[in-house]
Amino acid sequence: MIMMENVSFAYDGLYTALQGVSLQIDDGEIIAIMGTNGAGKTTLVKHLNGLLRPNSGRVIVDGVDAQHYSVAELAREIGLVMQNPDHQLFLDSVEKEVVFGLKQLGFAEDEIKERTDRTLSSLGIKDLSERSPFTLSGGERKRVALASVLATEPRVLALDEPTIGQDARQKEKLADMLLELNKKGRTVIVVTHDIEFVIEHFSRTIAMASGSIIADGPTSAVLSNDEVIRLCSLTTPQLTQAARSLHTLFPDVHERLTLLSELEDEIVRILGGV
Amino acid sequence: MSFLEVFQYTRQESIMHSLDPRAKLLLAIVLAVISLLFLEIFPLLIILAVLIPLMAAAKSLRRWLRSMKGLSVLLIFILIFNTLLSTYPNPLNYSIALVLRLIALMTSFSSFFLTVQPDELSQALIQMRVRFEFAFAMSMAMRYVPTLGQEAYAIMDTQKARGVELDKGNILARIRNIIPIIVPLIIVSIRRALLIAESMESRGFGASKNRTYMEKLSFKKRDWAVCIVSLIALVLVFYIRLYIPLPDWSIPL
Repeated sequence: MIMMENVSFAYDGLYTALQGVSLQIDDGEIIAIMGTNGAGKTTLVKHLNGLLRPNSGRVIVDGVDAQHYSVAELAREIGLVMQNPDHQLFLDSVEKEVVFGLKQLGFAEDEIKERTDRTLSSLGIKDLSERSPFTLSGGERKRVALASVLATEPRVLALDEPTIGQDARQKEKLADMLLELNKKGRTVIVVTHDIEFVIEHFSRTIAMASGSIIADGPTSAVLSNDEVIRLCSLTTPQLTQAARSLHTLFPDVHERLTLLSELEDEIVRILGGV
Repeated sequence: MSFLEVFQYTRQESIMHSLDPRAKLLLAIVLAVISLLFLEIFPLLIILAVLIPLMAAAKSLRRWLRSMKGLSVLLIFILIFNTLLSTYPNPLNYSIALVLRLIALMTSFSSFFLTVQPDELSQALIQMRVRFEFAFAMSMAMRYVPTLGQEAYAIMDTQKARGVELDKGNILARIRNIIPIIVPLIIVSIRRALLIAESMESRGFGASKNRTYMEKLSFKKRDWAVCIVSLIALVLVFYIRLYIPLPDWSIPL
């Protein structure tokens, strides 16, 4: 369990990025963090593994103040994939890159082999395993960077903008992997602007604006709130828009629906059942 | 890396900042040459006594001190190794002088780089009849020093998040730990260079032979004064060095 208690942070002590952020992340949750550019999302996830330390307030990991741990110690429990894959890749083959992360955390040789193969195939980059990451496309490099952390299956996995540069099918593959890890009991935290991605896969959403959390709760409640949508510079999800136009015709249709299944049920109901 | 801060342009209002870059370039070169003429403690201290007020005039004394603090490990390293390994008759004196010379050289050049805006630099070079492409490359290089620094920190963060322990282990382990930092840094820089080149070309870089410029630099009276004083100082110091026998200032040990 991770708790943030009234965490504030300013870069160089000048540029405020977080103001009194408090939240609790239980084991096994799957959470999306959304917000405008500069809302403090990346700053927040960097506090999870100690890359940034709060100016005031506390980050508590499993009941212990995170300031007692080094980043390397926290990294064993909390895997963080940053936005730019090029900051991470440095070896001359995709496979080595994934192996490096596992070795760093001290896995056994056959475990490393097995996990590397499994992760590479799950993300659809198995056929690239001998290639140099530097010759790959942006989207592929991104997946290699993701693979190198996903393979370690940390107890808490935080991904900063993992869907950038990925086509719809790759996003689905990524989502499948995240959900699978989540089923195994891993906590998954994803920072993203991709509202449809969030609605489909994440049960809880934290919305941020100018360094504070403005909403935290079930995704459907958070993302069907117009104020949140406005403050996060998002557009209302298409399904919610559809639900709203249906609501103008049939007032008993709930206007804050976000899920396809919910909308289907309503339409079936209006049509008088199957 | 914090010592690099002293070579980084900072937007400020000061006498040093408002001088013409060409005058400052001459001043910096003269100061550097003078620092290279002496390898005795006392004259180098005098040079520093000139340089420090210059940094104060650039309103950058605190920044300078911070950089020197960042550099102190290297300076102490130089001091110890030279004292132990030098074959000079008075190794400690020699090492202290070396350290002072390094500080003086860094400060001389920092008085230039700290106060000259990249655009001004390229404009100055162009007006000194350097070809535009070279002048532009020069100011781009200056412009990207801080960016590269930020990038280095971001890469360190990313590798730390993977469990790389940068400041643990013996010296060999630490050197090995540099690889995950330096390789991405080089790759990212090359990628960025290509990107910049492409985007500049798509915006018509080099399309017309005759460039026009928004601003032209012009020498003011104080710029002439700086140049004249610098040249007089240079001649004077050369004269002293060559023709006046200097007493032995070394600290007896």
